[in-house]
Amino acid sequence: MGMLPLGLLAAKDNNSNRNRIKIPTYLQKGDTIGICCPSGYSTMADIQQSIIQIESWGYQIKLGQTIGKRDFTFGGTDAERAADFQQMMDDDSVKAIMCATGGYGAVRIIDQLDFSRFKKNPKWIIGFSDITVLHSHLHQVVHTASLHSKMCGSFPKDWTTADEVQINTILSVKKALEGELIYYPIVPNINNRTGSAEGVLIGGNLKILENMSGSVSSINTEGKILFLEDVSEPLYNIDRMFCNLLRAGKLAKLKGLIIGGFTSIKPDTPDSPFGRDIITIVKEKVDHFNYPVCFDFPVGHQKNNYALKCGIEHRLAITADNVSLQEIN
Amino acid sequence: MIKVPPYLRKGSTIGLTCPAGYMELDKVQNCIHALQNWGYEVMVGKTIGSKSKTYFSGTDAERRDEFQAMLDDKNIHAILCARGGYGVSRFIDQIDFSAFKKHPKWIVGFSDITVFLAHLQTQLNTASIHSPMANAFNDGGEKSKYVQSLQKALKGAKTNYKEAFHPLNKLGKASGELVGGNLALLAHLCGTKSAYKTTNKILFIEDIGEYIYNIDRMFLQLKRAGHLKNLAGLIVGKFTDIKDNARPFGQTIQELILHHVAEYNYPVCFEFPVSHEQENLALKVGIEYQLSVTKKTVQLKES
Repeated sequence: MGMLPLGLLAAKDNNSNRNRIKIPTYLQKGDTIGICCPSGYSTMADIQQSIIQIESWGYQIKLGQTIGKRDFTFGGTDAERAADFQQMMDDDSVKAIMCATGGYGAVRIIDQLDFSRFKKNPKWIIGFSDITVLHSHLHQVVHTASLHSKMCGSFPKDWTTADEVQINTILSVKKALEGELIYYPIVPNINNRTGSAEGVLIGGNLKILENMSGSVSSINTEGKILFLEDVSEPLYNIDRMFCNLLRAGKLAKLKGLIIGGFTSIKPDTPDSPFGRDIITIVKEKVDHFNYPVCFDFPVGHQKNNYALKCGIEHRLAITADNVSLQEIN
Repeated sequence: MIKVPPYLRKGSTIGLTCPAGYMELDKVQNCIHALQNWGYEVMVGKTIGSKSKTYFSGTDAERRDEFQAMLDDKNIHAILCARGGYGVSRFIDQIDFSAFKKHPKWIVGFSDITVFLAHLQTQLNTASIHSPMANAFNDGGEKSKYVQSLQKALKGAKTNYKEAFHPLNKLGKASGELVGGNLALLAHLCGTKSAYKTTNKILFIEDIGEYIYNIDRMFLQLKRAGHLKNLAGLIVGKFTDIKDNARPFGQTIQELILHHVAEYNYPVCFEFPVSHEQENLALKVGIEYQLSVTKKTVQLKES
């Protein structure tokens, strides 16, 4: 060991860093998926379609105590939501946890969760929007991969009349959970910055990532590919949130940047337009850096929201004619 | 010890600038006249009433260069930001504070200007003033005790405020440097080099136009970033034009704050007159204060 040249040692270190993220076991037919509400409330009716669909894929469902519970905007009190999520994590018969819905509330319970048993027996945690709190914490503190994707509330009300995008995005959750490698070819946007990058994929909702800044759950983004999306924010606030990521050092050392949907943007006051669209806002922030950037990636509060594996190595390849995100085996 | 810029004297010059949102010159006239009546010269920057057609009072470069010029101009003794809005974060990292360090001056404002106030405390160890801005001088506001409190603060009078009791206050006494400002901006600064140092400090917060759930989320960000646990005291100002969703949040601002600070022992007071409304007392950021929250009153007094 003492004879190893320094270069090799460094490479080894690098490798062990990469491999530090634990990948939960992929699902097999007959496995049980738990459903609970760490954030907003969800009724049985809200999740009925997801249960029917997931059972049709050959999985069993275990419903948490918080389904149908409501404490104003939350799916139960903080204590109830924390206890339910904790139980789902600690229950060895549950192989994955799908959050019923986002909303707001995960940050109110995250510091009360005990991940010690989960660390030994990690499982996929599934969701997006407010669930970005969990993805961020799982990556930075628990060092475990997770699935950023549609959740129970996003399943189409009627599968037989659902359109192709709805079906494909829901099936992308199934494929990801079963261990199929991610490969998404994307329609190029003329504003993309070309190049290719390899790195661990991280990201989620911009508002939540800003909210994590300064906390233990805030991701060290160095060497990683970051994806971002948001909904119902005014442009000035999107700009301000990007400034937070920039000033907190989260954009400087990325390998690549993926901009998803920024939907239902709140209109400016007519007599004082913000004067910049999403593309300009992003370009201004990453002007000093050289990594590839792609726009219009199908992730966000929209129909076109594909499953993404957080914490796993991906290759982002952007040319003028082709864009793809591919999981590295 | 924190650096305290020299207080103003008759004949001192105040620079007026818009480092963030746009403001018409007409709306700044009352402020200019009042400052002149107080015995000061006023230098009005070009960002005020500029030709900008956007949200901002000028391009980033225009706003930055004007602020920089006022920082560096030895004949300007204080910079009063005419308006907040949004925009300081877009250029603060391009400001060169080297001349300011040698010759500190009072930077005055609130709302988006919180970014400067925090940066000055944490990076430059320099005091500043959180106070009403130009619009507060309009509609007779010039004579209000709030605008008057700015006049007194600028000339070096020690601030000493006695305010009404609030039934949810947590009683106690505290002393420490005063820090604070707009909650959305304090959350926005988390993780950056401009975030306030809050250990042993008295923190004040206020906000406007936010959803209750988002106030909860921002307050939790301060907590999770470690900005609440070692405070000496907490002053909650007014949260105005609060919004709620169709699914109500179920807690008031006061209730959610008390919930999140239940584990701490420092005094907490509510409805202190610091806000986006007329009630906005001048507060010296970075200066030592004593906070006394009793069964009858709240007193915030410069040491």
